[in-house]
Amino acid sequence: MRHPTRHGPIRAMAILVALATLTFSFAQDATEVVLSIGSRGFGEAAPVLIEKCEQQIGGIDVEWNRISDVPNESRSVYVTNFTARNDDPDVVAVDVIWPGDFAGRGWIAPLDEYFTDEELSEYLPGFLEAAQIDGSTYAIPLYIDGIHLFYRSDLLDKYGFDPPSTWEELIDQANTIVAGEGDPDLNGFVSMWAKIEGLFMNWLSFFQGAGGSFFDANGNVNVDTEAGRQSLETMLDILYEHELAPESILTYRPDDARILFQQGRSVFLMVQDFVLEPLTSEDSPVRDDVGFTRVPYFEGHEDANTTVIGGFLLAVNAYSDAKEASAELIRCMTSQESQVQATLLQGKVPTRPAVYDDPQVQEERPNVAALGDNFLHAFARPSAGAGTAYPQISEIMQTEISAVLLRQKTPEQALQDAERQIEPLLQ
Amino acid sequence: MRQANRTAILFLIPALAVITAILLFPVVQTLALSFGRDTTSMLRDYEFAGLANYRRLLDTPRFVTSVLNTLFFTVVTVPVELILGLGLALVLNRRLPAQGLVRMAILFPWALPTALNALMWRWMFNADYGLFNAALTGTGIVEPINWLGSIPLAMYSMMFVSIWKTSSFIALLLLAGLQAIPHDIYEAAEMDGVTAWSKLRYITLPLLQPAILVAVLLRTMDAMRAFELPFNLTDGGPLTSTETLSLYAYRAIFQYVDFNLGSAAIIVQFLIIMIIAGAYLITLRRDSYA
Repeated sequence: MRHPTRHGPIRAMAILVALATLTFSFAQDATEVVLSIGSRGFGEAAPVLIEKCEQQIGGIDVEWNRISDVPNESRSVYVTNFTARNDDPDVVAVDVIWPGDFAGRGWIAPLDEYFTDEELSEYLPGFLEAAQIDGSTYAIPLYIDGIHLFYRSDLLDKYGFDPPSTWEELIDQANTIVAGEGDPDLNGFVSMWAKIEGLFMNWLSFFQGAGGSFFDANGNVNVDTEAGRQSLETMLDILYEHELAPESILTYRPDDARILFQQGRSVFLMVQDFVLEPLTSEDSPVRDDVGFTRVPYFEGHEDANTTVIGGFLLAVNAYSDAKEASAELIRCMTSQESQVQATLLQGKVPTRPAVYDDPQVQEERPNVAALGDNFLHAFARPSAGAGTAYPQISEIMQTEISAVLLRQKTPEQALQDAERQIEPLLQ
Repeated sequence: MRQANRTAILFLIPALAVITAILLFPVVQTLALSFGRDTTSMLRDYEFAGLANYRRLLDTPRFVTSVLNTLFFTVVTVPVELILGLGLALVLNRRLPAQGLVRMAILFPWALPTALNALMWRWMFNADYGLFNAALTGTGIVEPINWLGSIPLAMYSMMFVSIWKTSSFIALLLLAGLQAIPHDIYEAAEMDGVTAWSKLRYITLPLLQPAILVAVLLRTMDAMRAFELPFNLTDGGPLTSTETLSLYAYRAIFQYVDFNLGSAAIIVQFLIIMIIAGAYLITLRRDSYA
């Protein structure tokens, strides 16, 4: 009583220790799951969904590892981590072309025991295929970024055209409009034809649209075909015969092409759907004149799927010690409810067709719902079948396609050379 | 004295050990991987494969192209940079109005990070809305030029950017060399009525030679390792016309996950650089004793 504060510090210490122990044991109970995903790609949805899923699942503590949204950069990070057999991160966002490669190296775990066939059937089948290797599913689709054909609706209206469904129509319309406008700065068609993955995607759209299929029924490479030649010749014609595209298209990445279109200097633009946001933003000169439709096909190939899929899936690190909790997190983050929420928040195209029909999505994000329709004609790049050889196969195709577009090789020569180089990789 | 030395060595050991481990381990690992059999498990299940990876490299036309590109890039840029750098250094060495400002302006390109620099030039080189074509086509005489999209122009554009950026680095090194030359030699020469050209030829250049060799050595090693510039300016394109050795090795490792092939490429690059550096050092030593 004489020294009322004497026991104060001791008591305070005791309380602190007790609190610390309590917090510590509480943290011990929750399973830690490290989720690795870009902060720009999935945007505002990531933190919201993480918090929601932590509550919904319970006993799980998600740490968000923000990585680069540039696929090549995040890929380098993953290659380093997986080669070191690091058990972190547990859940990784993977580009649509990686599951075949990563699964082939034993880096990501099959998810068959965590997801039923019925659950899997709710995702876009064309997208899910990219993660299905030898009958097992290795990743669950999170969001799509696919290639579409964007057009200037004001110019098409002015000349009385409907959006083109075939390449023949597109070339015809572009020729008429460019000639009619008489503006030397106006191009008919721009896209990303630099020697990048996007060029391979682009060519695949042409190729599939001509009835081509990268692998035949036996899994052999099958590009030296009529469809292969028709696709390359059409690209050449757009460039040199009709001079619809500027020659600089051969240095263009998606954003370079987007800028030209946004400046009002092209009738058509063929790139991924992420451009819709900047094209229709307040400061865009063409914001009221942007239309979009699915990538065209060639006459006589109405059934061809021409929307090439890009985007990200969620997979589980094969070295993770929290696989079950990781799978739960993936289930929650890609659920119908989460996808509606994410779509309303940031406008990425969801991977469940049912979300395109959601009334709130149709009301608040009409573009997403409309883009979603194009994915009913979606196809994935041949990455699941190519497995660990995909990066090399893509690089070979990029080089051969570029050689044709730079007029260093004929289409026949390039396609033969491509097959000759790719065959030994598939052994 | 001896005791003090021993204590000093003892204190140095931890730091030396860490440095050795950090420097040596990656080198040894890269060397081992370059002789290893196809594996992505690094050194865990290591299998010796002899020269198989080096043989694979020689069978890869793309690797050979990247070696030739790198050598071509080095052989053109370094001499041009040296001549420009020497000129800049001679100008900077004079008394100029606003000397500090002028020196800072000339050093500016070198101070810019290469990656940012490359992106800046990529926009200026852009064929459709870039600065150069806007200026050229504005006159109405010239067709737009596809700076980065045609062969071999893309390589020349890349060389231009490199020269623009690194001439000032050479200038900086040579300026230090110039300021170390005693003034009385020039004064003596002036009394004898020697021309400006002879002063440069018989006084400045011989005395500057060690600095020149060091500058050229550093720049050559840098040019042989060029990565950020091609990566950000052209990404090695069109086709593989601007792909350097470093870019190829990076692709082999991080795109194809072929650590063995990439490591072999790095070892080849290392050997080429060592040979060049050795040649320079022998020249340097011979001259300083002569």
